[in-house]
Amino acid sequence: MLLLDYQNVLIESLLKDRFAPGATPTSIDQVVSDFDNVTFHISTPESKTKILVSLAIKCYPELAKYGAEEVLQREYGSLIVQPENGYDFSVQVDLEQLPSSDEEKTELIRKISLLKRNAMAAPFEQAFDEFASLQEQARQYTSESAPQGVREGGTVRAIHYREEEAIYIKASHDRVTVIFSTIFREETDRVYGKVFLQEFVDARKRGVQNAPQVLARDDPPLELQGIPGLKGGKGAEGGVTYVTFVLFPRHLTPQRRAEVISHIQTFRDYFHYHIKASKAYIHSRMRRRTADFLQVLRRARPEAEEKERKTASGRTFTVKS
Amino acid sequence: MAAPQVHHLFHAPVADHSFSADRQTLAVARDTSISLYTRPSPTSPTFTPTASLRGHDKTITGVDIAPRSGRIVTCSQDRNAYVWEASPTGEWKPTLVLLRINRAATGVRWSPSEAKFAVGSGARIIAVCYFEADNDWWVSKHVKKPLRSTVTAIAWHPNSVLLAAGSTDGHARVFSAFIKGTDARPEASVWGERLPFGTVCGEYLNPTAGWVHDVAFSPSGNALAYCAHDSTVTVVYPSAPDQPPSAIISIPTQLLPFTSILWSSETEILAAGYDCGVYRFSGPEWRLSGTLDTVAAAGGGGEQREESALNMFRNMDLKGRSGGGGSGGDDTRLKTVHQNSISTLRAYEGGDGEEVTRISTGGVDGRVVVWTL
Amino acid sequence: MSQSLRPYLSCVRSTLTAALSLSNFASQAAERHNVPEIEAASSPELLLNPLTVSRNAEERVLVEPSVNSVRVSIRIKQADEIEHILVHKFTRFLTQRAEAFFILRRKAVPGYDISFLITNLHTEEMLKHKLVDFIIEFMEEVDKEISEMKLFLNARARFVAESFLTPFD
Repeated sequence: MLLLDYQNVLIESLLKDRFAPGATPTSIDQVVSDFDNVTFHISTPESKTKILVSLAIKCYPELAKYGAEEVLQREYGSLIVQPENGYDFSVQVDLEQLPSSDEEKTELIRKISLLKRNAMAAPFEQAFDEFASLQEQARQYTSESAPQGVREGGTVRAIHYREEEAIYIKASHDRVTVIFSTIFREETDRVYGKVFLQEFVDARKRGVQNAPQVLARDDPPLELQGIPGLKGGKGAEGGVTYVTFVLFPRHLTPQRRAEVISHIQTFRDYFHYHIKASKAYIHSRMRRRTADFLQVLRRARPEAEEKERKTASGRTFTVKS
Repeated sequence: MAAPQVHHLFHAPVADHSFSADRQTLAVARDTSISLYTRPSPTSPTFTPTASLRGHDKTITGVDIAPRSGRIVTCSQDRNAYVWEASPTGEWKPTLVLLRINRAATGVRWSPSEAKFAVGSGARIIAVCYFEADNDWWVSKHVKKPLRSTVTAIAWHPNSVLLAAGSTDGHARVFSAFIKGTDARPEASVWGERLPFGTVCGEYLNPTAGWVHDVAFSPSGNALAYCAHDSTVTVVYPSAPDQPPSAIISIPTQLLPFTSILWSSETEILAAGYDCGVYRFSGPEWRLSGTLDTVAAAGGGGEQREESALNMFRNMDLKGRSGGGGSGGDDTRLKTVHQNSISTLRAYEGGDGEEVTRISTGGVDGRVVVWTL
Repeated sequence: MSQSLRPYLSCVRSTLTAALSLSNFASQAAERHNVPEIEAASSPELLLNPLTVSRNAEERVLVEPSVNSVRVSIRIKQADEIEHILVHKFTRFLTQRAEAFFILRRKAVPGYDISFLITNLHTEEMLKHKLVDFIIEFMEEVDKEISEMKLFLNARARFVAESFLTPFD
């Protein structure tokens, strides 16, 4: 499990069970958590055959501003129902009206388990669209005569998807810039994070030439000039790091955009997940090495001089002195 | 030369040990008790434990068996000393000695006359103890001046009057421990003529002011040797009272410091200590002339060979991943007989005017070894 | 082994071997007490001159001997932030297990990363030369362990970064 899945595995498996031919409808009432403090509620409030899946996401108002409702409307259409109390968005599946073919069923499961991804995708889609139109406009001008808006690109879309962390997306005529602001709670995380980010930055120099350019810095990048409430910068505390992904036109083609949006969304969690995993590994390594040291020290005991005599059960004989 | 006899008694330091004159009994200071070992039969090469003398409640620092009376004197860091006497039934009965010291006792030795013994202490005092028949107890007189620090070692002159002491202030000193009524007036010697109690007959500072670990008079009593923490052994030949000594010879070594020294004759000193081996110094020009352990290595070979395969694998396990660094050899065992510092060196056969032919050593590794010179 | 490591370690080894000439020495200051003099420091005559063995500005060992105890403090090489954090984590990990290590001091002497306190009880209970071996081996292994962990972290970071970026390619 190196890369993170885009969909919510729990929802996926739960629906798969329900959709299976011959499965008897049962009542469900389950709260599922996902990354970034996202909560799902899967329940059968009306009848056992009607499964309601609701999504609560902290930055839903922001997402709505960037067109989340249109995206969700497009994706889920007739499944959408009135949002459940306390949640931002709900869909309902009627087990009695499932599509007949297995492919369609699988597609439906996939769609629902991608609820979070799709909600978060809206600002990306908007930015990608904006890029397309800016690119179109830019074709009409030479670089000198381009009006301000075209050269500088559009507005910054900010998604404050976590308590202190945000994603900023900005389109311009030749690129889309995605900036993650992320926080390290501990000094160790910060140092490990730095090592990881350096490798992200350097990756293009080695094999992966066509990957987005990655930049990492502790103070807000120029793209975010004028955005209020940014932390970091000289002498700032709190370990804020800004990670910039520059997506080039080749990543923004209509054929690839769905995949790119899904993938880039997972960056923050992927990144922190591997920092934690490395910490755990190094911890276990230290534990092992400590045991080795203890063994060396134990050999300093003169009892080791003599052949230790043990019974089958591992007890040691004491020699009467 | 015969191989040394190794008595591996336990896995704890032997702070001090003493053989009885007939070499049938061995007293060993083990933590807070004295373990007595005897030979099962007079010719047996091994010892078996027979008794344990308990009474001290801190580490015992000294034990000495009087050669003729068989009395055992012990002292400990609990500030006390006991004289143990065997009752007709074989029980050992302790008598508390009034040392009147308020710090740890560091060592004890019977005078050759066996009428007195001396106890060194951390209270900057040497307690010279003698039996007061009127009150039926052991009382003590204190030597205080000019001791400025813990007394680490004491040694009696053959005349039972003079007492040498080494101390952590870097001095080796010679005092008179003359007790009126107990001692006969000693003959005049190079150390002095009239010797009231407490007279300082000699005071010698180690050049680096290193802690003096042990002192010893030559068999004639006309020379003094001491060893210090700067790894030297110094031999002093006094000339006459109140005169500078005719010679002070300091022998530097590349070894770790010695903790114990012994004159085997007027021209040979044996020294042992933190290097775990016994070394030989030869006079009268005085130089380090050899070690007793080369013989030992061959003698203990069988035991070592038996362990070597185990050690080889152990080393592979240990050093395998670290690659270099390992000498490849068997490094679990030291080449010496003792596997840890030697704490005391004593005459086993000879002494008391005769040449010492065998010696015994007690070490921190719980071994008592008898060596043939 | 690098060129300068061997003489450094052999110097530490000889220094330690000499410093471990300890005796069971009861306190001169307090009745019926027996405490490590290097920590109590109640009497200057019982302390020997402390000695620093330096390999370079970053790596050094401080040996503070006394009549019945020795304090050995090690400053481990830390070339950069990562090594610094790894050293810090590792030494903390070890000191939290000081109980099992007998000779490990719970707190390092200021200016050093880890300290050992060896008393006469330790040299009596354990073989003196094996204690020296342990400290030397510890010094050797700690350096190696730190650089291996650093390499591991870099390798893992590279792999993680490339795995993430490859789908864009």
